[in-house]
Amino acid sequence: MASPGGQGGGALSTRGGGGARRMKWALELSVGNTRSRSDRQGGQGDVVYPIGYSEKPVPDTSIQETDKNLVEKRCWDVALGPLKQIPMNLFIMYMSGNTISIFPIMMVCMMAWRPIQALMSMSATFKLLESSSQQWLQGLVYLIGNLLGAALAIYKCQSMGLLPTHSSDWLAFIEPPQRMEIMGGGMVL
Amino acid sequence: MAKLILLLLNWIFLCCNVAAVFEDQVGKFDWRQQYVGKVRFSHFDSHMQSSKKVLLASESNVFAALNTRTGELFWRHVDKTGPEGNIDALLQHGQDAVLVIGNGHLLRSWDIGVGGMNWEMVLDPGSFRSACLVGHQGAVKHLAVLKKTVISLHYLSNGHQKWVENLPESETVDFQAVYSGGNGEVYALGVVPNSHLAIVVYSLEDGEITKQVSVEAPWLSSIPASCSVISRGLLTCVDSTTMSLYTLDLHLQLEMTQIPLQTLGLDVDPGFRPSLVSHQPNPAHPPLSEFLLQLGPEHHLLLQHNDGQIVTLRDYKPALLASFATAGEKTVVAVMAPKNKTFYLLHDGKPEKLHVQAFLKKDDSVGYRVMVQTEDHTLTFIQQPGRVMWTREEALSDVVTMEMVDLPLTGAQAELEGEFGKKADGLMSMVMKRLSSQLIMLQAWIAHLWKLFYDARKPRSQVKNDVSIENLSRDEFNLQKMMVLVTASGKLFGIDSKTGDILWKHYLENIPLNAAFKLMVQRTTAHFPHPPQCTLLIKDKDTGLATLHVFNPIFGRRSQVTPPALPQPILQSLLLPLMDQDYAKVLLLVDDQYKVSAFPSTKNVLQQLQETASSIFFYLADSGQGRLSGYRLRTDLSTEQVWEVVIPTETQKIVSIKGKRSNEHVHSQGRVMGDRSVLYKYLNPNLLAVVTESTDLHQERSFIGILLIDGVTGRIIHEAVQRKARGPVHVVHSENWVVYEYWSTKSRRNEFSVIELYEGMDLYNSTVFSSLDRPHAPQVLQQSYIFPSSISTMEATLTEKGITSRHLLVGLPSGGILSLPKMFLDPRRPEVISEQSREENLIPYAPELIIRTEWFINYNQTVSRVRGIYTAPSGLESTCLVVAYGLDIYHTRVYPSKQFDVLKDDYDYMLISSVLFALFFATMISKRLAEVKLLNRAWR
Repeated sequence: MASPGGQGGGALSTRGGGGARRMKWALELSVGNTRSRSDRQGGQGDVVYPIGYSEKPVPDTSIQETDKNLVEKRCWDVALGPLKQIPMNLFIMYMSGNTISIFPIMMVCMMAWRPIQALMSMSATFKLLESSSQQWLQGLVYLIGNLLGAALAIYKCQSMGLLPTHSSDWLAFIEPPQRMEIMGGGMVL
Repeated sequence: MAKLILLLLNWIFLCCNVAAVFEDQVGKFDWRQQYVGKVRFSHFDSHMQSSKKVLLASESNVFAALNTRTGELFWRHVDKTGPEGNIDALLQHGQDAVLVIGNGHLLRSWDIGVGGMNWEMVLDPGSFRSACLVGHQGAVKHLAVLKKTVISLHYLSNGHQKWVENLPESETVDFQAVYSGGNGEVYALGVVPNSHLAIVVYSLEDGEITKQVSVEAPWLSSIPASCSVISRGLLTCVDSTTMSLYTLDLHLQLEMTQIPLQTLGLDVDPGFRPSLVSHQPNPAHPPLSEFLLQLGPEHHLLLQHNDGQIVTLRDYKPALLASFATAGEKTVVAVMAPKNKTFYLLHDGKPEKLHVQAFLKKDDSVGYRVMVQTEDHTLTFIQQPGRVMWTREEALSDVVTMEMVDLPLTGAQAELEGEFGKKADGLMSMVMKRLSSQLIMLQAWIAHLWKLFYDARKPRSQVKNDVSIENLSRDEFNLQKMMVLVTASGKLFGIDSKTGDILWKHYLENIPLNAAFKLMVQRTTAHFPHPPQCTLLIKDKDTGLATLHVFNPIFGRRSQVTPPALPQPILQSLLLPLMDQDYAKVLLLVDDQYKVSAFPSTKNVLQQLQETASSIFFYLADSGQGRLSGYRLRTDLSTEQVWEVVIPTETQKIVSIKGKRSNEHVHSQGRVMGDRSVLYKYLNPNLLAVVTESTDLHQERSFIGILLIDGVTGRIIHEAVQRKARGPVHVVHSENWVVYEYWSTKSRRNEFSVIELYEGMDLYNSTVFSSLDRPHAPQVLQQSYIFPSSISTMEATLTEKGITSRHLLVGLPSGGILSLPKMFLDPRRPEVISEQSREENLIPYAPELIIRTEWFINYNQTVSRVRGIYTAPSGLESTCLVVAYGLDIYHTRVYPSKQFDVLKDDYDYMLISSVLFALFFATMISKRLAEVKLLNRAWR
């Protein structure tokens, strides 16, 4: 690995040809050489290696078989994530109760929002799982996990009475019936 | 513990329901006007030079003192209604005013300075005839009361009886007048009609009869109508048949001297009954020798008796009214001539009475002020040069019916409205029209702003909120409306609901005494440029004939539309929701042949009627025959009877019938139960609540009945009989409930009962309601409660969309108007509370309804003798306008669910806006700071 400091230093030193006075700082790479000379001499083939240059060969870093397993494992982690959250969610649901107040509402919202968000960004997750061999299975598990999470949130909404499932929830939308007969009258005046 | 929780729950619940007025809101949204009624007696307080009181005793049994400078009440005493509180006579002496009340049952003395009672005496039974003050030796200390059989003398200081004597021959002689001339004698004058005059003289000291004479007078029938005592006890009578004046000296009592009017050069108008007016300035002295003789409707004479001779002093012709008044030693005669300017000022109704106040000016000349009472019960107080100081519309003490009409839009708004009302004619012209109307609106807005700016510079006291008919316009929330009131005297009023100012009045002449009125709004102000139109049906109950008065409710002017002549007696009228091409609702009038005539009856209307005739029904209830019948309209405008319900008149009679109000909206079609299912309301728009009372009033057998009848089919939906109960029954029928109040003779208390009707858990037909297609009977729930007070009238609040919860407005005899939440009158109130009922917010059943003082919407503004409450929706859903009328008129706004759609009165605009601005600037500054900081970090 090459050290970035050396290259950067070199680049910086060449910036701003307006004179030394203007520079904020300068790094002199070769001792006793002025900048202009070193430029000229570098071109003439003086053997001055840049910082971090090693003549020894770099060790081989190609992918090995064990890493393949790791990727698989990581992909399963991603796929099983939503399922793992469910017990936790169940616990939170149980703790928050069915009363309608700010905290339970916030929790329900979060619980519902997370699976939906995940489902929305399904394609990104698939890209993440691309390298895995069991991509489809993992995708399916991920989907099921999220759907379960969403169902749980809906169940919670239901038990809190937030779902318009009763006839009373639609009462306000019933129009008053139109009257067919016109009627009037009264006591004989 | 459970009880405690229940109590706490109840308390919390009630706390949410408090609706009271804050101290600084007093008079802000409400106003009250107090009236006296038609004046029967009046006296100017003349015992003090600087006094500015006039005492009035009215036919509504009210005794009051008015400020003569402003016309406002100093004090007022309202007695019982009916003959029990009837004021028979008003006598005033010095600081005391004595009233004879209830056909001579009571004698009351009032201190006129503060209006407090001095004393009260119960008199012996007997029908009252006459009363007079008795003076002796220059001092007035007694009061004589003449009844049919007895005469009694009372001390003026404490009311104690000095003596009481039986009248001789009271079986044959009808004693009618009592007179005292200040010489220690009291004269009782009686008459045997068309035979002779009887005079009995009593001694003031011990009530001994000193003389008893009878004088031949075959022409005399009534003493007060034709006789009067003038100068030193000279009884003078006038008779129209013999065309003569008769005089009789009460001291000598020889016989009547006849003076034919011809000898005086006088002539009675044909058919007129002449009358005499004399004047006795001080009861301790004999009356003046001058008197007034009225010979015709516009002919008065001032005559003088001088040594047995009658001399004409002055002839007033034409003269409508004439009256005497005394100030100090001087007496003036005030004569009202029809050519006088004042007559034109009082254009509405003929003058009926003239009350003159004479006073001595500083230079010892006599000044006078006049209070004129006209046919329409108006009192007008006129200053000497003919300047009207004030008028009081006493007709408003007897409002029969009323309506509230929206005010018209301003010119600019109307312009805009008109633009959309017209038909489109090309794109370009539409754009131009729009632009022009927008320009007009802009102009109006700038003018408004300018006015605001201009007014803001003036001191607050100078800025007057002048309301006149010209600048009337609807306000933002339609809270200001025009109240159209119809009074029993036949005078119509237009009152601004915001201030209570009378904006117009219109006197309808020749209104029969027992007329029935029905006021209908045919066209509202919504149909610019057509003017709004109200129709008043006036029916003479004796002849059955009716007339229509069509007028513009905003200006009070008679409308251009000529109402149809109605030759047949009219039974009922019916306002249809159909409109003619000018947007006037069609009025159907049903005559006694059960034929129908339409007004307006244009071709368009008749065609519409033919099309819809099969769906037009009406019902008529005849209380006398106990018949309740429904009719259907045929296409040829004749009718056929569809149903009939006979209520046997031997056992019970129909007292009232209440349908639903046509402008009522019900927002929610059902009620949500505790388990979140819906109980649907039975909202039958054709439902009628018929109240019957038993004719037998014995407390064991009396009952009241409630019948719920469908007005189209005649089907009896529900019937309830309350045994051992008695009326008067007050009913409110609205939405799906009926609330009624009655007197329970068994438990001796007032009870409220509520009936609610429900369709059940599913709707039969949710799109249309037809009474002809209703196979299932509704579920009926009923509950009763004890109410701690009797009530005078009852009405339910009404709002624009019917979202706001309902309250009942209950007028109490104490003068309070109670706003009782309907929630307390709910037949679903459970006896045992459960989870579900708590979920439903039902209050546990308690038999007693409590009157909470914070429920009084009129705080301390007592409204005397409330006869009716009128409610009208405003433009705000939360707000309902209320007018209570009776002897007084009171207007206010109520908020049954509090003001959920309005910011509070004390809302801190300053704080909110300053916080907003501060936050805004803080955001701006911090944004800038954040930018700088980011840049700096980038440099690092």
